[in-house]
Amino acid sequence: MIPTLLIISLVCFAVIKLQPGSFFDQYRDDPRVTKAQIDAYNHRYALDQPNVVQYLIWLKNILFHGDLGYSFANDRPVTSMIGERLGWTVFLSVLTLLVSWLLAVPLGIYTALGQAAFSNPRKTLGDRVAIGANYLMNFFGYISMAIPDFLVALLLVGWLLAHHKTNVGGLFSPEFIDAPWSWAKVKDLLSHLWVPMIAIGLEGVAGLMRQMRASMLDVINQDYVRTARAKGLAPRTVLWRHAVRNAVNPLISLAGLSLPSLISGTIVASIVLNLPTIGPFLYDSLINKDQFVSMALLMFSALLLLLGNLLADLALASVDPRVRFE
Amino acid sequence: MQRTSLFLALMALLAAPAMAQAQTEANVPASLFQSIGKKGGTLTLSLVSSPQSFNYFAVLDNNSYTVLNNVFDRLITLDPLTNKLYPDLAESWSMTPDGRTATLKLRKGVKWSDGQAFDADDVMFTLDDLASNTGLKANQSALFRIGKEPLKFTKVDQYTVKVTAPKPYGAMLQVLTFVPILPQHKLAKYNPVKDPDAFSKAWTTNTPLTDIVGTGPYVLSKYTVDQKVALVRNPYSWRRDPAGNVLPYMDKLEYLIIKSPDAQIASFRAGQLDSAPISGSQFPDLKRQELGGAKFRVIRGVGLNNPPVHLAFNQDARDANLKKAFSEVKFRQALAYAVNRPRIVDTVFNGLASNPGFGVAPVSEWFNPLTKTMLSEFDLKKAATRLDALGYRDTNGDGVRNFSGGGPNVEFSLLHAADSSIMPGIATIIQSDFGKIGIKVNLQGVTGSTVLPTAMAGNFEAALGSFGDQPDPQLRKDIWQPGGALNYWHRAAQPAHEGDTPNLSAMQPYEKQIYALFAQAEASGEQKKRKQWYDQWQLLFARNVPVIMIAKPDSVAAFQARIGNFYVKDNAVITSNYTMYEK
Repeated sequence: MIPTLLIISLVCFAVIKLQPGSFFDQYRDDPRVTKAQIDAYNHRYALDQPNVVQYLIWLKNILFHGDLGYSFANDRPVTSMIGERLGWTVFLSVLTLLVSWLLAVPLGIYTALGQAAFSNPRKTLGDRVAIGANYLMNFFGYISMAIPDFLVALLLVGWLLAHHKTNVGGLFSPEFIDAPWSWAKVKDLLSHLWVPMIAIGLEGVAGLMRQMRASMLDVINQDYVRTARAKGLAPRTVLWRHAVRNAVNPLISLAGLSLPSLISGTIVASIVLNLPTIGPFLYDSLINKDQFVSMALLMFSALLLLLGNLLADLALASVDPRVRFE
Repeated sequence: MQRTSLFLALMALLAAPAMAQAQTEANVPASLFQSIGKKGGTLTLSLVSSPQSFNYFAVLDNNSYTVLNNVFDRLITLDPLTNKLYPDLAESWSMTPDGRTATLKLRKGVKWSDGQAFDADDVMFTLDDLASNTGLKANQSALFRIGKEPLKFTKVDQYTVKVTAPKPYGAMLQVLTFVPILPQHKLAKYNPVKDPDAFSKAWTTNTPLTDIVGTGPYVLSKYTVDQKVALVRNPYSWRRDPAGNVLPYMDKLEYLIIKSPDAQIASFRAGQLDSAPISGSQFPDLKRQELGGAKFRVIRGVGLNNPPVHLAFNQDARDANLKKAFSEVKFRQALAYAVNRPRIVDTVFNGLASNPGFGVAPVSEWFNPLTKTMLSEFDLKKAATRLDALGYRDTNGDGVRNFSGGGPNVEFSLLHAADSSIMPGIATIIQSDFGKIGIKVNLQGVTGSTVLPTAMAGNFEAALGSFGDQPDPQLRKDIWQPGGALNYWHRAAQPAHEGDTPNLSAMQPYEKQIYALFAQAEASGEQKKRKQWYDQWQLLFARNVPVIMIAKPDSVAAFQARIGNFYVKDNAVITSNYTMYEK
C-alpha cells in the first residue's frame, strides 16, 4: 500500500505542477502586490525551488512532522480546513450510498427475476405486470444513467421554483443553518435532503441496479440454483441463500471503489445544489493552485480508494467462503 | 417665581446633553436615502465562496472584503452619487496650500464593538504597521508611494492625524478611502512589523468571532463553514440617518455562501436572498418576471468601476511585421473603424453596456467631455480604404491582406478569456468583422485567470482585456501611464526593475507626453491643474488609440420589492447594507 501511495503522490504532484505558475502568481495582476512580494512568498514556501525539491520537502513534512501543509489562500493548516468540512461530506455520501444500495439491490433482483416471465409461454396477468414493470424500470434505469447528476439537480431546482417552493439549495433554510439542533431543524433538513438524494443517488441506483440484475441473471441459471430448487427448497430460501448471496459479490467490490467519491464524486452537483461538501473545496484549490490543499485531498482520496479495496476484500471474504481459501 | 425659573434652568441644564444626543446630525451621505427607514429585520445577501480569512491585510479575497467591509470603517469614503470624498472615521480634513500635508480630525466618541474607545493610535497602527507593511499579503504600500518615497503619517493628538507627502501628491486623500482601520488593542500583540507571518495567522476563519472587533455598522456573530456568515448590529454603531435614528436599520446581516450563479438566482427567486448579484445576461429574463408580477425589482444604472473591455495589440510582438503594424498609430486607427460597438453592446451585453471613456469612466468628474464623440464609428469601408492607403493590400488574391511588399498574410491571434460570459462573443464579432476587411484573426481562448499573466509576459499578439475604472486617474497609472506595470501592450517601455524610471527611449512621442502628464499630475496638489493634465491625456489616448476601447458594462442589480433604500438616482445604483430596510 505504501509504495502505491508514494507513486500516486508523485503522479498527483506532477499533474498539479503541470499547470504553469504558483498560487501567488495569480496576484501578479493585482496592483496591491508588488513583484518583489510575490517572489518573497514563493521563496518562503519554497515554490521557487525545482519541483523535485518541492516534492521532497512536502514528503518530509508529512513523514516526519505529520504536516500536510498549509493553505496559502486561508493562512491555515490544511488539516483543520479539511476537518471542518468532513462532517457533512461523510453524512451526505454515506446517506446517498445507503439510499442507492437499498433501492438498487432489490430492484436489480426484481428485474432479473422478471426475466423469467418473458420465457413463460402462457403469460398470466402477473407475468404481464412483471414484464411491464421490468420495461419501465429498465427504461428509468437507462434514463437516469444517461442524465448527469447536475442536470437532474438543475431540473429539480427549476421544478421547485415553478411550484414556489423555497428548498432550492443547501441543506437548510437560511434561518436554520446556524441554529442549534431541534425537531424543527431536523424537519427542515429532511425537506431539503430529498433533492440531493434524488440528484446524486439516482445515478448510482441505475448503475448498481443493472449490475445486480446482470449478475443475478448469471447466477439463477447456474446448476446449483437448479439443484437447490430440485431439492425442494422454498423459493425464498433459494433466492436469498443461493442466488443473491453469490450474485452480490461483484457489488461488494464495487462498493469499495466508491469510497473516494466521498471527495470527488459530487463536485458539480454540490456546486449546483450548494451543498457544503468537500468537493467544491477541492475544485477551488485546484483552480487557485493552492497546491497543498489539492495534494492533501487527492492523497486522501487515494488513501480512501486503497482502504475501500481492503474493506471490500475483507467483506467479500466474510460473505464468500471461497475467497477465504484462496 | 424665582424658584420655578431656577428649576427650569436646572432642568434645561440636565436635559442639554440628552437633547444634543437626540439631535445628532446625519453622518452618512444623504444620497443613500430614498426614504427614512425603520428598524428591524434581517438582510440576507450572498457570497460566491467562503471567506478565506477575517484578517483584512493578510488576505486577497473579495469574499473576505465583502464581509469585513461591514465590520470596519475607512477614514474617508465616497458619496455613491457624486463619487466625491465624504467623511467617515475622519470627520473633517484640511490640506495645506502646497498640497503636501493633510490634517485629518477624527470622529470623537466612536467605540470599537467591544466598548473600547477608537482614537488616533488605531489609525497610526493601521496605516504604519499594517497598510504600509510590505510583509503582509494585502498591504497597500503601493498606494502610499510617490515614486519611491512613501507617505508619512504622524499623530498630532488623540483625535488628529497628519499625512505628509514627500512632494505634492494629488490623490493623497483618495488613497485613504481604500484603507479600513483595524483595532490596535486587539492586533498589536501579534507584532505585524516584526513577524508578519504570525500576524497573518491571526484572525483566520476559525478564530473566536468575539475577538474581531470593528467600528462598522455590523459585527461578526457566527460563521458556519461553507454555508453562512452571520453578522449582527454593532451595539456601538456611530452612524445616524437624517432623522437621527441609529443605523443600520436591519438587526442582522447574513451572507449565504452559494457558489453557483444559477443557484444564487434560484435562491433569490425563492425569496431567500434579499438581493443577488446578476449579470447582463440574466437581466432580460428577470425583468420579464418582474413585469409578470414577481415580488422583486431589477434595476440598471451606470457604474463608475465597471471594467470596460479593450482590444490591445502587442507592440512588442515577436513577429517583426506585426510589431511594426501594431506600433503604427494609423494601423490601429484603421482597425478601430472595424470594431462594431453597437452590435457588441446589443448581442453580447443584451444592450446593458454603454460607451467607455478613455481611461476614465464617463460618470467620473475627471472625465474629459471632449472625448465623448471620439470613439470611432463602425465603418468597414473606411477601415478598408485606410488599410489600402497604408499599403496593406491583398497581393496574392487569397482574400487576406498582405504586409507591404508582398509579405505574408496580415494574421494574428486574439487572446481572450474563454470562460467569460462576454469575451468569447466580443472576440467572435471582431474576428468576423476584421475578416471582412481582409485581416485574419485566430481566436485564442484561455482560462480567464491566465489572460493577464500571459499578456503581461508578452506572450500574445492581440488580446481582449478589461481593467476597472477608478475615480482618480492617479489610481490607474500602472495601467495607462506608459511604462506602468500593467501597460502590457508596450512592454518595451517598462523599466528593467520595478519602481525605476521607465525606458523613455522606447516610447513613441505621444507616449512620452502621456508619461509626463501623469508624472506632473501625480506631483501636484492643485486639483484644477491636475484635471487639465488628465484631460490632455484622455485626448491623446483617444487620438492615438494605444488600445481600442470597446464597451463599458452597466451596473445591474436585483432586490426584493420589500427592501427600501435600494434605488437608481441620476443613473447610479444606490444602496448600502446599513441603510436598506424592510418596508
